[in-house]
Amino acid sequence: MSFDELALVCERVAATPSRNRKISLLGEYLTKQNETDLVRATRFLCGQPLPGGAKMSLGHAALREALIEVTGWDLETVRLCYREVGDTGETIGLLLQGATRNLPLTLQQAEEEYLGVFGRKRTADRVARLAEVFLRYSPLSLKYFVKGITGNLRIGLQERLVEEAIAAATGHTAAALREASHKAGQLGDIARAAYRRELHLVEAKIFHPMEFMLAKPIEQAPELGDAADWWVEDKYDGIRSQVHAGDGQVKIYSRGMEEVTAAFPEIVTIFAGLPVPIAIDGELLAWRDGKALNFTVLQQRLQRKTVPAELLTEVPIIFMAYDLLHLAGQSTAGLTLEERLHLLAQHLPDGARLSARRPLAELPSLEEEFNAARKRGNEGLLLKRRGTIYEPGKRGNYWLKVKKAFGTLDVVVTAAEQGHGRRATMLSDYTFAVRDGDRFLNVGKAYSGLTDDEIRELTRVLRGLTQEKYGRVMLVRPEVVLEVAFDGIQKSPRHKSGFALRFPRILRWRQDKSPADADTLAAVQALYTATLG
Amino acid sequence: MKVPPLTVRFTAAGIHILEIDLWLDPRQPVAHAWFSHAHADHASGRPQQVWATSRTLELYRIRWPITTSVDQKLIPLAFGIPIEWNGAKLTAWPAGHIIGAAQLCVEKDGYRLVYTGDLKLNQPICGVKTISIECDRLIIESTFGLPIYHFLSHTEARHRILSFAQETLAEGATPVFLGYPLGRGQEIAHVLATAGIPTSVHGAMHKFLPAYEAEGYSFPGVEPYSAQTDPSRALVVVPGMRDYLEARGEVRVAYVSGWAALANARTRANAHELIPYSDHASFTELLDLVAASGASQIDIVHGYAEPFAHILRGRGYHAQAATAQMSREEDAGA
Repeated sequence: MSFDELALVCERVAATPSRNRKISLLGEYLTKQNETDLVRATRFLCGQPLPGGAKMSLGHAALREALIEVTGWDLETVRLCYREVGDTGETIGLLLQGATRNLPLTLQQAEEEYLGVFGRKRTADRVARLAEVFLRYSPLSLKYFVKGITGNLRIGLQERLVEEAIAAATGHTAAALREASHKAGQLGDIARAAYRRELHLVEAKIFHPMEFMLAKPIEQAPELGDAADWWVEDKYDGIRSQVHAGDGQVKIYSRGMEEVTAAFPEIVTIFAGLPVPIAIDGELLAWRDGKALNFTVLQQRLQRKTVPAELLTEVPIIFMAYDLLHLAGQSTAGLTLEERLHLLAQHLPDGARLSARRPLAELPSLEEEFNAARKRGNEGLLLKRRGTIYEPGKRGNYWLKVKKAFGTLDVVVTAAEQGHGRRATMLSDYTFAVRDGDRFLNVGKAYSGLTDDEIRELTRVLRGLTQEKYGRVMLVRPEVVLEVAFDGIQKSPRHKSGFALRFPRILRWRQDKSPADADTLAAVQALYTATLG
Repeated sequence: MKVPPLTVRFTAAGIHILEIDLWLDPRQPVAHAWFSHAHADHASGRPQQVWATSRTLELYRIRWPITTSVDQKLIPLAFGIPIEWNGAKLTAWPAGHIIGAAQLCVEKDGYRLVYTGDLKLNQPICGVKTISIECDRLIIESTFGLPIYHFLSHTEARHRILSFAQETLAEGATPVFLGYPLGRGQEIAHVLATAGIPTSVHGAMHKFLPAYEAEGYSFPGVEPYSAQTDPSRALVVVPGMRDYLEARGEVRVAYVSGWAALANARTRANAHELIPYSDHASFTELLDLVAASGASQIDIVHGYAEPFAHILRGRGYHAQAATAQMSREEDAGA
């Protein structure tokens, strides 16, 4: 069926703010598709058009290059156009108007074109192939074809809504769809099962990453009810991961279903050659002397395709296991926490660690335990309710986390950047600094936390403070004070201050404070040293 | 190379043709001025002597009524009929933009200079289709001088305006069109009213309806908006009224503008429906105008002036942006 029509449907979805209208527009379209095209359309809507969720890595520069090859526009003009539009797919669609042959495009052809481009190894070959694609189809379809590559459609569509649309199109309840999709990550496969009316057969499979069960943040112990219902574990500041092992293979997936196996060869060694296939939930940690190291250290290992020997010894990694997902061809998600952990303890290979758990009732106080966990260098505590099942993708009441914000800092905005998509015309990304004498040294950058109205107002103020402009970035006079929360501090060579806040988020715009009231570099240093303690 | 008989200075006070002492859309008090059209950023203040089309002068007078304190002479120019001024010939030609909008052709010793003012090349909903004039030097705007700006034709725009209004009314909500008081507002009201959709317009727009009617555009049943206006009427109002209307009932907002060509206009204008139609030329219309003029020198005075000049130079034109000189403070009052 038609990709052109899918592009049109996406335009209509973008045009309506109504959740129900988005679902019904998509549902109407999906109902008309046969099984194969339903799967193709679903994959596209999830931003993963290739079968098996294969990655399509082609940067904005390469996409631009293909565009320039077809249209003859110079780089300067294309850049300026992008700055006005704020989205690569849309910019390319607009600049291709009148330059293409407007041939009809089917879902099957779109998939073949994606495979044609990404079947090539070298970027130059991909660009050349993409340029051919750009000449063929309608600008609207090409706009969405490119959005498929950049992976974000920007039409106000979360995966939730796609699930509901598939449910509507195949005559299932949204709940049934969601449950299945949590067991097996790929929504395309779920759509196929839904079409065949085999949703009940969807089971978690080894080497198919499952969504992680998540913990809800709590502030206070009274929310817990009876202490006898709870187990307590330390909450580690590492990389949440799943290890899948069996048939001589080991794969490690981090959050977002991303495979990170190559970066952690020592974990692969530990799990290789297990007699029974297994999938385990846990945390990758940099570990020395019985203690987790600062997240900064761990970061050196992530994103590696190969790990040099000296880094292996310098930053040793362990896998701290805390739940069982799959064992001997069976999903264990339906077992109780105690049953799962019992089996996990039996099958965990030497060299992997099991996260220690204590009954809450036996602890003197949650506060004391929290402080002890912090002293051990961990982030806080996890509370897990006794007798509960593993609920993939859910942030429910079975798992809770006690994780106090690290604190807050009052920082000064030194640069602002235009946002993307719906925030393309506003200055929504802020670089901020702390005070060091009369200098302001950057410690981070945050994207969110303010309402659109606040951003609009702040945009107006910051434009008035602009001193220099580099492309999308404005350097501003340090006058606006923001209060930011964050989860930690790490060393950073990128910032002149030498530090970067982890996960900074803007709490509020402190219009009551002046730059002289901002926090100092010395305060940041002290906080960092305290965490190394 | 022969020295052209007309010299142009671009200053913060406006565009000045030295030899004949004529200012084009001046922003400060001057002796002799040409008003390309009646929008406030072009026709303002009280020059001693003003040339413009009779429709532009009429609309100008609505905003700047006769006063006894200033002695002002307004001279209407009919399309295509030249008059003499300081040894040059001045001729007005249609510019499409809004009713009365005109380009000015200044001819001296066989040398022709054309100032477009704001213009649209394609047929507008209300207005005379623009004529492209061959000239030696072209002074042109570039509000939409980037290749991302593509617009609907007037017939497509008409269709989109009507279907948005009809669908919204069918859903029991009030269709609201936002527009500035002169130009787009009347075009939208004309489309709605002549299709039989009961329409109310903001008072600031309503006062210009007679001028449109005199040009032959009808507005059957159009009333000025008031607090008592029935919610089943389509509304054409100024952007400032949006919050007020939203607080009163269920409304859906359409943004009819050249800027609606980009998806980010949805947040920028906070609109439900984007209808990319403009009373300015789209990028390709601008290119067509430049090509048709055959001008050997092109000055760009508004909008994406630098990038558009860069694009024109890439196509072999002798083009430059005049916007930097026109925003420079020290030239003010020259």
